Amino acid sequence: MNEAIAPLLGIDVADVSDFGMTVPADKHFALATLLKTSGYGLYVSVIATHFTEQKKSRKVPEPVPEHFQVATVLRKPVKGAALSFSWKVKLDVGQPIDSLVSLFAGADWQEREQYDLVGVTFANHPDLRRLMMPDDWEGHPLRRDYAIDTPHHPWR
Amino acid sequence: MAVSDDTRTYENPFLDKLLSVPGLDVAVGSIERLLDWGTSNALWIFPMATSCCGIEFMAAAAARVDVDRMGTIVRGSPRQGDVMVVAGTITVKMAPRVKKLWDQMPEPKWCLAMGSCAISGDFYRDIYSVIPGIDTVVPVDVYVPGCPPNPQELMRGLMRLQDKIHLQREGKWSPPETRPERDKMIRPEIGRVGDEDRDPLLSSVQLDRARSLGLDGNEMRDNDDPTGRMLAPQTLSIGQHNGESPAAGSDA
Repeated sequence: MNEAIAPLLGIDVADVSDFGMTVPADKHFALATLLKTSGYGLYVSVIATHFTEQKKSRKVPEPVPEHFQVATVLRKPVKGAALSFSWKVKLDVGQPIDSLVSLFAGADWQEREQYDLVGVTFANHPDLRRLMMPDDWEGHPLRRDYAIDTPHHPWR
Repeated sequence: MAVSDDTRTYENPFLDKLLSVPGLDVAVGSIERLLDWGTSNALWIFPMATSCCGIEFMAAAAARVDVDRMGTIVRGSPRQGDVMVVAGTITVKMAPRVKKLWDQMPEPKWCLAMGSCAISGDFYRDIYSVIPGIDTVVPVDVYVPGCPPNPQELMRGLMRLQDKIHLQREGKWSPPETRPERDKMIRPEIGRVGDEDRDPLLSSVQLDRARSLGLDGNEMRDNDDPTGRMLAPQTLSIGQHNGESPAAGSDA
């Protein structure tokens, strides 16, 4: 299915692997719209991940800059089974990604959670506030460079 | 205190009248004792249950360990509660809410910290979002340690609270409970790497094993290893703590 969808979005089929495809950030919303019209109407989850900068070494052949990865999972309920489709978007630091709230209302709090914990900015989100941490919290706790002993008044 | 002697008479005729009512003789006494009896046997609980300790708390309120027989009815509102049972991990975001609910409870009120997380934060103590114990927010009267404590232990904590109320009503000094020591609660009885009373061979094998792992957690292949150091196959016997190494005999 990945190979079928990729030409519709103008993505090279060679970029598609068995572990899902990486979509440019400007094609993110178009892909979600296409999937929703083809029956994938159940918004399952959005998972944002932070990757720190990696220098070139024996294990890392190419230096990797600091970036984010946002994976979105949609599901199509059919009789007796459920088809899932997921794709990834690679984001640079500070680069926003289109919000899917206008397509799926259930994406509201999930995207707020990812914004809160990882710090990915969702463009066109109606109410992008912190969801879990207090409003005056500094930093995003699930980033890999977040120190676990970050001081927070008055407890530590 | 119960007046069982029928020949006893009081100067006040009202008290004599009271004694003629069956069962009311226990009420005759000082008003402090009456308040003590009423207070300690009607500890209405406001449950501040945030996690798994709340499940044990539900079990304590259910049929087998029935805390209702002590008069501890569970109320869902802080305005009718006497005891706030903090059962569960309190996060930084939750702590101001707990304080607000505590302030809404009428006096006299008590706080019971149930479980390791409410006492000290326990496993989650060093996590960014968890406060190190509810006694940093509200004053705690009774600590019930456990992870989670079973319902009987919660009932025992409530009985300790009753004893405390008795002592306070009598004007006696009730020693404040102290937080159980953290080390005794969470540290398991295992030797760690580098401990003296641990088999040194086990420590060295563990360290070698850790060094042979790459940054990604996968074991390095021999051509990957820059130091050329490989894990030698050795026979382990974990139970031996005496001086001689078990692998030394097998080499000879």
